[in-house]
Amino acid sequence: MIEMHDVWKVYPNGVEALRGIDVRIDQGEFVYIVGPSGAGKSSFIKLMYREEKPTHGVVLINGVNVKRVRDWKIPHVRRKIGVVFQDFKLLPHMTAFENVAFAMEAIESPRRKIKPRVQEVLELVGLVDRMHALPSQLSGGEQQRVAIARAIVNNPSFVIADEPTGNLDPENSWDIMYLLEEINRRGTTIVMATHNKEIVNTLRQRVIAIEQGVIVRDEIGGEYGYED
Amino acid sequence: MKSEVSTVMKIETLSRHFREAYRGVRRNAWMSFAAISAVAVTLFIFGIFLIFAFNVRYMAAELDKQVAIRASLAEQLTDDQQLQVLKQIQSMPEVKNAELVPKEEGLRQLKAQWGDEGTEIFKGYEGEGKNPLPDLITVEPKDPQNIKAVSERVKSVEGVNDAVFGDGVTDRLLNLSSWVRNIVLIFGLGLAILAAFLISNTIKLTIIARRREIEIQRLVGASNWFIRWPFFIEGAFIGLVGAIFPTIIVLSLYQVGYSILGAGEVASILKLMPILSLGIYVTLCIFALGIAIGTLGSIISVRRFLKV
Ligand SMILES: Nc1ncnc2c1ncn2[C@@H]1O[C@H](COP(=O)(O)OP(=O)(O)OP(=O)(O)O)[C@@H](O)[C@H]1O
Ligand SMILES: [Mg+2]
Repeated sequence: MIEMHDVWKVYPNGVEALRGIDVRIDQGEFVYIVGPSGAGKSSFIKLMYREEKPTHGVVLINGVNVKRVRDWKIPHVRRKIGVVFQDFKLLPHMTAFENVAFAMEAIESPRRKIKPRVQEVLELVGLVDRMHALPSQLSGGEQQRVAIARAIVNNPSFVIADEPTGNLDPENSWDIMYLLEEINRRGTTIVMATHNKEIVNTLRQRVIAIEQGVIVRDEIGGEYGYED
Repeated sequence: MKSEVSTVMKIETLSRHFREAYRGVRRNAWMSFAAISAVAVTLFIFGIFLIFAFNVRYMAAELDKQVAIRASLAEQLTDDQQLQVLKQIQSMPEVKNAELVPKEEGLRQLKAQWGDEGTEIFKGYEGEGKNPLPDLITVEPKDPQNIKAVSERVKSVEGVNDAVFGDGVTDRLLNLSSWVRNIVLIFGLGLAILAAFLISNTIKLTIIARRREIEIQRLVGASNWFIRWPFFIEGAFIGLVGAIFPTIIVLSLYQVGYSILGAGEVASILKLMPILSLGIYVTLCIFALGIAIGTLGSIISVRRFLKV
């Protein structure tokens, strides 16, 4: 469960990206974060994986206050969260398999568990036959699927994605969405910021709209609601 | 069962850290080479200093053992009177040990100190009435620091002509060494800091080269130590490699010096430390210092450039 209570994010340059956010996202939900450019969506996402700390207010991840948590415990909070980016952030010198395995090695999983688990998630994202390819040899959609495999390989409770389809053509975007839906069906909470009107209006889920740092709308099965 | 699993994990993780560290050294081969050289020069100077310091300590300890007051007895004393004087000295509370050395024994010792030539030189002094040495009582004080006062007291005993001791040789040796030590330490410390910064620079390059990997590691929840370890190992490794050559060179030089100075005898009483025990100490010290400098370099960089 993710909770925010009166959360403000003020950047050092004085920009108030978030101004008093109150929200609660339960385990198993699928949530779109929408809003105009500069509204604060990415800031909202960054608070959830503790890339940024709230300037004011409380962010709780499974009941843990991410601002108060001791430095050495932060990794354990992060293990509950898989993150997916618009630009994939794959390591270019590693194959698809190695990129996914890297996430398991980083949390010191025993080696004999790594190979079967990596193969399992690569199967889920449909890339077993491409697992020895480098990112440069994969299409955008395939790269994003590798990134999603990496995000879920350590069995997080949440997957948080900032415009995961932002760099993809419509066909690849839909593939990614079906994949995220499948992951959600298996019990993982999904929170994604998006500008994709068609997707939001077709795969109806909970929609949280942010404008100028404030939540202006929060409805289950809601519409995208902007013309861009 | 459970502990076995976690041990297996640790060994895997450790070998991974070592691989990662090795890759770091290879990646910045030239910077690593420069850092290793800087460490080597620093440790070479430290090594010379260590040899000096260890030998001074060794010699001082040897000299302390020899610290004894030599009280020469008046010519005309009878054997009984000599024994009386001996007893009187032995009964002083600050005296640890006192021994009678008749002049014949004194001559024998003198000859022995001069080795083969001794027989030749002292031939004329053998035989009744020709020995010019006085009978002696050697006195060993309980506290070598106290030697002057004890010798005064021994001198005042009736029947004792004079009492002398190796005046301040030990002190002068230790004084000189503390002087040299301070100079070398300040100089060496400067070099060590320089070397640590060179190492920190190569570590910085590794951190920069691996920043994308580190970002992902952080993101998926790698522990802070998991991220830091390879950098500490890399720094320690540079320090370790930098310790190899100075150790070999310094000890070889010592070996040469030792054999040139005739089985380690300087001025016949000052013995150089045997190569084996010195070698063990010096090797341990140089390697420990190298690893310490390397680790310090990593700490500097990790603290400055690796946010967790
Ligand atoms: N690191 C930062 N330092 C200063 N200001 C920032 C920083 N990150 C974001 N901002 C500002 O905060 C506001 C919200 O930015 P944010 O990235 O959260 O918007 P967004 O909704 O994700 O926009 P977009 O749809 O374009 O991605 C913007 O005005 C932005 O310029
Ligand atoms: Mg954004």
